[in-house]
Amino acid sequence: MADYPEVPSQASTSDPQARPRRDMKEVGQEDRFSDSSGVLFEQAMAQTRMAVCLSDPHQPDQPIVFANRAFRRLTGYEEEEILGRNCRFLQGAKTDRDAVARVREAIENEDVLVIELLNYRKDGTPFWNALHLGPIYDSKGKLIYFFGSQWDVSDVRAARAEERHAREMARELSHRMKNMFAVISGIVNVVGRVRGIEDATGEINSRIHALGRAYETTLDEASVGVIELGPAVKAILEPYAVGERLKFLGNGVQVPFSAMSLIGLVLHELAGNATRFGAWAEEGDGQVKLDWQRHGGQVVLTWIESGGPKPEGPPEETGPGAVIMDRMVAAARGTIDREWTSDGLHAVLTVPIEGEQA
Amino acid sequence: MSEGCRILLLDDEPLILMDLEFAAEDKDCLPLTATNVKEALAHIEAGDGVSCAVLDVTLRDGETCVPVARELERRSIPYILHSGDLNRQEGTLASLDAQLIAKPACSRRVVDTALSLAGTEQASAS
Repeated sequence: MADYPEVPSQASTSDPQARPRRDMKEVGQEDRFSDSSGVLFEQAMAQTRMAVCLSDPHQPDQPIVFANRAFRRLTGYEEEEILGRNCRFLQGAKTDRDAVARVREAIENEDVLVIELLNYRKDGTPFWNALHLGPIYDSKGKLIYFFGSQWDVSDVRAARAEERHAREMARELSHRMKNMFAVISGIVNVVGRVRGIEDATGEINSRIHALGRAYETTLDEASVGVIELGPAVKAILEPYAVGERLKFLGNGVQVPFSAMSLIGLVLHELAGNATRFGAWAEEGDGQVKLDWQRHGGQVVLTWIESGGPKPEGPPEETGPGAVIMDRMVAAARGTIDREWTSDGLHAVLTVPIEGEQA
Repeated sequence: MSEGCRILLLDDEPLILMDLEFAAEDKDCLPLTATNVKEALAHIEAGDGVSCAVLDVTLRDGETCVPVARELERRSIPYILHSGDLNRQEGTLASLDAQLIAKPACSRRVVDTALSLAGTEQASAS
């Protein structure tokens, strides 16, 4: 997740792109600190939880000449085991050679580098090290040390990997589920053809598709068990391809997974009716406005048609679609109110949502 | 209009393929079905070729429809994508300049959309 910093925040004060010469030269060999601030600096270096080491680029194989307590604690080595050795003693079997090559290159070019690489403690246990390294110059601009700070980011890496895995699984599941809806739909179509009941199976299929689409946008959120209503609603109504004749007013409501099948099927019925007799009928240029809001423990969807053929009040006979819709809503302990105003159908669906969520 | 149109249908799931095949037959066109990239390319390269295509994006054994899409593009044959794998294939989908119909969708609508592209191609060619 983007929330995890790639490197500890300390490192972010040094931009890898920036040339460090001006900022860092004060920390040089013949430092310009007054005596008291020199002591402060030494104490800070010694006591910070940030592992720090310095290496001397002018000695053969660039040995470490200073390592603070945090460095010793992180790596498990004693001071005498560290001083005089090149930093590479922290590398091991699984350390990425490309990363090491980048470190070497940065040292050769006197660049600042922030990189994560796998290092090993004295006891052989590996850890992910967010290494921040860069040159240190004296007041005349001469290279005197290389500075390295180490931060154990193993936990961050593990969390990132776990999340990536979870996301992969959700996507795989999403793909399989949508494919399964498509297969079911195929079976229904084929049976309809064999039995000569294609009208009936066509109707069944339109509902299956509405359901499949209701979940389409949802599975990536499955890990938290809620669905963003906006994208789901848009996916459900997408095949009606009415463009500007549909306005979405709602925003940012989440509903539990279990509420989605009802909402999907009700919207499908409303959209189907609007296409046949209502605002989306072929001849007109009527519009539908769809709003969704959360009111306490309920989600309220409001479907407002306008500009279609003048309705003559409620249809005389309630069609089978409406009967099913009413029963489904009742089964979910919700309500649906339909009012035929002079402008068109005005329907309000409420769906109770168990488990109060913010 | 779509009569006699040769429509390539690529999907690794047999039932979806059959459903699309029926929908194409209802339109009096000739469905050419393929379950993998090799079969699809064979149809394209065969003597009479194809006039339009419906391509499933994620196929079995890690294949995607990209090689087929590229070959169709090379021959200026219109195609649409038919996929349920929108999230994982974002990159692939973005690299292909084609209309996308998300699964599950009505097979008639899928086939009609592909045929309408073949219609415009033919119209603009004449």
